[in-house]
Amino acid sequence: MWKVLRDLLRHNRGFAIGVALLSFVLAIALLSFVSPYSPLDSYVVPPDLPPCWPYVLGTTSRGQDVFWTLTFAIRNTLLFGFLVALLSRLLSLTIGLVAGYAGGVVDRALMSLNDTFIVIPLFPILVLFYFVMRDRMSWVSLALVMACLGWAYDARLIRSVAMSLRTREFTETGIFSGMSMPRILVEEHLPYVLPIVFSTTMNNINWSIGLEVTLSVLGFTDINTPTIGVMIYWANQHTALVAGIWWWIAFPVLLVVITFIGLFLLAVSMNEFIDPRGRLGRGAP
Amino acid sequence: MHSYARYLLRRLGQFALVVFIGINLSFVITHSTPIDPVEQTISAATSFGSTSPEAIAMMRQSLRELYGLQGGIGEQYLAFWKRVAVFDFGPSLSAFPTPVSDLIWRALPWTAGLLFVSTTITWVVGNLLGGLAGYLRDSRALRFAGVLVMGFHPIPYYIVAFVLLIVFGYLWPVLPITGGAQMNMARGFNTSFVLSVLQHSILPVLSLVMVGLGGWFMGMRSLVSNIVNEDYVVYAELGGVAPSKILGAYVMRNTLVPQVTGLAMSLGGIFNGAIITEQVFGYPGIGSLLVDAVHAGDYSLVLGLTSVSIVAVSVAVLLIDMLYPFLDPRVKLAN
Amino acid sequence: MGMHPGTPGQPGHSRNQRDELREPRPATAAIDAPVVDVTNLRAWYVTRQFGVQREVRAVDDVSLQVRRNEIYGLAGESSCGKSTLIKTIAGAVRPPLEVLGGSVLFDFHGEHLDLYRSPPAARAAIRWKHLSYVMQGSMSVLNPVRRVRHSFVDFAYRHIGGSIADFENTVRAHLERLQLRPGVLEAYPHELSGGMRQRVAIALATVCRPELIIADEPTTALDVIVQKGVLGMIREVQRELQSSLLFVTHDMAVHAYLCDRLGVMYAGRLIEEAPTADIFRAPLHPYTRHLIASLPRIGQAARMDALKGAPPNLAAPPAGCRFHPRCPLAMEVCSQQVPPLETLTPGHRVACFAVTPPATPASAPVSVSPTQVSTRAAPPGDSR
Repeated sequence: MWKVLRDLLRHNRGFAIGVALLSFVLAIALLSFVSPYSPLDSYVVPPDLPPCWPYVLGTTSRGQDVFWTLTFAIRNTLLFGFLVALLSRLLSLTIGLVAGYAGGVVDRALMSLNDTFIVIPLFPILVLFYFVMRDRMSWVSLALVMACLGWAYDARLIRSVAMSLRTREFTETGIFSGMSMPRILVEEHLPYVLPIVFSTTMNNINWSIGLEVTLSVLGFTDINTPTIGVMIYWANQHTALVAGIWWWIAFPVLLVVITFIGLFLLAVSMNEFIDPRGRLGRGAP
Repeated sequence: MHSYARYLLRRLGQFALVVFIGINLSFVITHSTPIDPVEQTISAATSFGSTSPEAIAMMRQSLRELYGLQGGIGEQYLAFWKRVAVFDFGPSLSAFPTPVSDLIWRALPWTAGLLFVSTTITWVVGNLLGGLAGYLRDSRALRFAGVLVMGFHPIPYYIVAFVLLIVFGYLWPVLPITGGAQMNMARGFNTSFVLSVLQHSILPVLSLVMVGLGGWFMGMRSLVSNIVNEDYVVYAELGGVAPSKILGAYVMRNTLVPQVTGLAMSLGGIFNGAIITEQVFGYPGIGSLLVDAVHAGDYSLVLGLTSVSIVAVSVAVLLIDMLYPFLDPRVKLAN
Repeated sequence: MGMHPGTPGQPGHSRNQRDELREPRPATAAIDAPVVDVTNLRAWYVTRQFGVQREVRAVDDVSLQVRRNEIYGLAGESSCGKSTLIKTIAGAVRPPLEVLGGSVLFDFHGEHLDLYRSPPAARAAIRWKHLSYVMQGSMSVLNPVRRVRHSFVDFAYRHIGGSIADFENTVRAHLERLQLRPGVLEAYPHELSGGMRQRVAIALATVCRPELIIADEPTTALDVIVQKGVLGMIREVQRELQSSLLFVTHDMAVHAYLCDRLGVMYAGRLIEEAPTADIFRAPLHPYTRHLIASLPRIGQAARMDALKGAPPNLAAPPAGCRFHPRCPLAMEVCSQQVPPLETLTPGHRVACFAVTPPATPASAPVSVSPTQVSTRAAPPGDSR
């Protein structure tokens, strides 16, 4: 598997760029551990300063250093995304694999359920959730709810991989030659399932961060834990744009866009890698 | 058409299931809250002065009635469903005494129009571009278009809308950035109103289209690159069939089924994007209404909007599903 | 019979000579230019993945000709390059397949075309009208979302012309002649059985009465009974149209039933070519001899020996004659020089140094053992 990653890195430009962008973002997130300021403190630096030294990205109207707040914001945002992706992996893998391998009535029942969750518009539901939770809302509970609602799309993808693996000849050969099912699953099937899981994880992180940013910007989450969306929310509350304090908004937006594009590139290049016909059809340049 | 009737029945069943689960979800969320919306509203209403205890008790009573919180959980459940069935969610608290349904009906056409226009543009243009890109692999223009379109795709709707707002609101103010039409203008099908509506819809539509194109483009491009290697396309090329005909009748026709499926599946997400975009541009649709309702603590309006959203998206998906058998003769209706 | 605008008829080549159906065809065709003349064709699959370039030499320096009104069969085992060869002849070249050298020259009753030096428009003009193709696995060659009728219109209408109504009548008449019910036009491809689809594909390929029909394993996926019917249909069509047919299959029995001449391919090269009867009765190349010897005969009790080794990897083929690692008659020169296709007797070509000694003795001195000498002197046809 490492060889695959190394090859991808060397020859797939999308993958390489994605890794570069994400490493950049991760580096910034890690810097949060050495921040001189706590994210919850305000008025620790002179407010409303444009980017200068030592406040490299400027300061906010609440007297916070944009750069250091940003490190916390992106760290929390990323953590949120990973948490949702992890939790929803559990659901989508379970449902997708069971449906794909079991087939028949089980498959149809699960897919009915699955399609339900694909169709239901999530944003109103999340808004409703915030509405009833109000100040009791924490981002962990939000993550839980999003994980419980957002597994459907990926479950379908995993199911189709499982279905095609189940009917492939090498599976039957394995069964006929006496391989136990768990061994088949791990040794034969896993290499096919892993790339799909990887790319759907990337997409899922994108989706969850996107939804979180949207909710936060509207103020529909816990506004005391700094995330990218919350930063923008506070900036809007202080009418930063009108006051000309563009750096308060621009840098969070920029950083999160970099994150999105990085994750997206990883997901897309992994998808390209999965599809073998795409490889052959390209021939020699 | 016997098998079509069976197919329709099954689709209707799925539709009913979606609505059922969705509405139940709303019910569960609203009724498992640790917060009592009645007490919240009362504390908000009485915070500006002293009110007599009898008045508070009366308010509590009428609010409980309004919110459907009387009786045990079973009674509440039935009452809830009754309201959904007739689309009556009571009066809106923030715009008392206007019924919630009135507010929703007023906002719905704006959202529907926005959704319809932007989804059509996104789907058609995205698929066309993606199809051409998959077919004409060497076109630099298409490859550039692809990078552009896919660059915007991962960015959430809100941010794109926001950036457009800044660009056209502050940096280059040539387009209106709030409202559905110019205020104080006579509504109706006269030219100036229609023009104003169109003008005000440019930015919301643009924002939705910019984000949405990438998804269709990518899917269509990979779909077409696979189809191009299918036997019947290779054979048509061997037969000297005109390339335009191959692109149309052999390639594109065969992408219809997966792309229409994709449309049905992504309607939920597109809907989300639309209502978020509305909020940014102050477009008088369901999205703005929802956000304002939350800020105002208008319980019944929020509930009503959520229920309507679920039903509306489900109906749209059902309509698309019904088209299916006409697109692909191979679809086994008795699946 | 249907209308057929286009090429002026040539004297001596009238199309409705029904009496030819009764008589056996002349062993050698008239002294016209061949319908297709392939010279030194080289077509490789070239892929570059992760910085590693790989070339599969599927067709390496092949030259052959197909004459008018003849059925030429290409035989050989799987992945010997025959499918790639006819794809290249038909011009169905898509990445990663690339044509690296040689030429394919067509002569359709005076209309000449150098396939790989012509603009796409010229190539498109001959397609279906003069050159048609029956694909391997014709199960899925028809557009699945449109009726069969549309395929006929797409492929053939522009060549046959006239009004749509007349065209449809022409097609219906053609189908009836081939004993297909005209109702098949209204069906969707998935509604027809495999054998039916194959017949429709053949009808489609012949409706414009092309001079050359290329067929790539058209009956391989069918059961024997359907296969016989389809083959019979192919033979009838060829006889009636008097077109040439370039037929590829690995099934020697089909070759025996259908073809006038056979070319045997091995590892991307043409190693023997002769009239069918000669190939079966007196094969010369060691590989062909083994191939013929391995055909089971009813009542045969003797054991058949397998050739040692395996077909070569076309990405790294052996030097010299590609068969030499497995050949019982291999000599030292076989691993150094590529044996050219020499004409031994008129109409019979072989590429083997054991049959036609190398031209220049300037190759490394070979000690000729008595066994080898006696092998060469022995009459061909000995099975080993």
